[in-house]
Amino acid sequence: MSADDFSILLLTLRVAAIATLVILPFGIYAAWHLARRGGAARTLFETLLSLPLVLPPTAVGLLLLEVLRTRGPLGRLLDRAGIEILFTWKAVVLATAVMSFPLLVRPVRTAFEEIDPRLLAMGRSLGSGPAAVFRRVALPLAWRGILAGILLAFSRALGEFGATIMIAGSIPGRTQTMALAIFQRTHIGQDDAAMRLVGVTVVLAFAAVWTTEILTRRHTKRTGT
Amino acid sequence: MIELDLTLPLPRFHLRVAASLTANTVAVLGPSGSGKTSLLETIAGLRPRATGRIALDGEVVMDTAAGVFLPPEKRRVGYVPQDSCLFPHLDVAGNVRFGMRASNGEAALFEEVVGILEIAPLLARFPSAISGGERQRVALARAIATAPRLLLLDEPLAGVDPALKGRILPYLLRVRDRLQIPFLYVTHNAGEARAVAHEAIVLREGALTFAGAPDEALRSTSLVDPEARFDNILSGTFGAARGVREPASLQVGQALFAVPADESARPGATAVFSVAPDDVLVSTQPLEGISARNVHPGRILSCDVSGATAWPRIAAAGIEWTARLTRASAEELGLKPGLDVWIAVKSHAFRRLR
Repeated sequence: MSADDFSILLLTLRVAAIATLVILPFGIYAAWHLARRGGAARTLFETLLSLPLVLPPTAVGLLLLEVLRTRGPLGRLLDRAGIEILFTWKAVVLATAVMSFPLLVRPVRTAFEEIDPRLLAMGRSLGSGPAAVFRRVALPLAWRGILAGILLAFSRALGEFGATIMIAGSIPGRTQTMALAIFQRTHIGQDDAAMRLVGVTVVLAFAAVWTTEILTRRHTKRTGT
Repeated sequence: MIELDLTLPLPRFHLRVAASLTANTVAVLGPSGSGKTSLLETIAGLRPRATGRIALDGEVVMDTAAGVFLPPEKRRVGYVPQDSCLFPHLDVAGNVRFGMRASNGEAALFEEVVGILEIAPLLARFPSAISGGERQRVALARAIATAPRLLLLDEPLAGVDPALKGRILPYLLRVRDRLQIPFLYVTHNAGEARAVAHEAIVLREGALTFAGAPDEALRSTSLVDPEARFDNILSGTFGAARGVREPASLQVGQALFAVPADESARPGATAVFSVAPDDVLVSTQPLEGISARNVHPGRILSCDVSGATAWPRIAAAGIEWTARLTRASAEELGLKPGLDVWIAVKSHAFRRLR
């Protein structure tokens, strides 16, 4: 691996880690409410959440670009506050966060749904308020699902391409993650250099998915008392 | 003092209970699906659709007309569900401590509860690694450790084999007598109700059909609950010791019974035994030359029949007994109120409860 490869790897890992951390509280919050509610509102919310999974990533990227551009609704506010997002590493974080969010929510929601609601009721009856029951009963019982969600979201973040290139471009040293670098190197005929990065991504993805598999399998096998 | 005047819509009927319960221990009887568990959950605050009024020792925890609905965590009610519902991610100690408030008396209360329920050897183990009877004791300890003003016990002995039942029932009585925590006790077993409770209510299809003394409930329960078991509960004192190999004698009122001896059967010590209705033999002829140690003349009080089973109640040796016979044999014997009979009970049919 060259020094260049290494800094690309670091940037990718850093961006993916930050994106995963940023969406973690929101993801857990969304999963908790989805697991506990029913009805049309839930279906609508769930569909909206899943859109990034099925839309072309470039379409999501373009939507984000529309919202964030200087003359856009949010962009004007950010511009006034002196916050620059588009075509910086923050844009990479934003794109990967949006694309990874549904992958975080799904396993966490499943884990929450598997909790016997009577255990939550017992927690209340034993003197804990809703927030304390969430912290002391729901979170510990769902930790495998949460870990699986984190790994899935992180893996997805490592490989994000379409939305990223729309709002962050592919600026070497600033916004060029591995997925973007592989494309660019192939484009300019550096196939060997691209292949080195492919090797790194394969190792990373393998490790992440392998761990997720083990976690989720243990989770489904575990039986209640 | 538990004041109830509540309504809860259930899939098949409405639970409607209006009662003022003054006894410290109240048995809740009734067939399966009659709303007993729903009643406990409503009192615990776990049924948001309930309406009406609930006051515990004068404090209103629910009065929907006045917009009062205390959440479960504010009611200070200890609920022990039928399947114990322990937290699988916490060890026994973690479960017991779950509801303890940080206060000065905490350590002492923990020690006391662990001692009374004899769960010290289990503290480091997880719920999946202990037996059903142990789980029930832990669930009971967990509820008591919150220092509740009322305990709600949902069939704590259901599905527990008779030997184990004999071991748990004394813990309940200890909780009642030593910790002075009042409780509502859901059970199918009228004998258990009589041993544990001072007052009983009977539910049927969500409606209150009886409130009063457990003994009276026993008589009416055979009509509302064909599944109920009517263990005969005898409470007495041990008589003078005989030989080591001999059964002990238990004096109940004026009558003496031969019961299995153990090391605690010192003369003058009090004891409670149960006898299953299946173990009470009924004869219309005087019994002689029979191996059973306890033979007493008596008279049939009533003979309820449900399905293929007959439940004669017999006054004998100053006690009301419930026996269980097949309907066919009850008819062959011609059992009807007023008939003179003899009952026979083997000494080993007496199971020590405390």
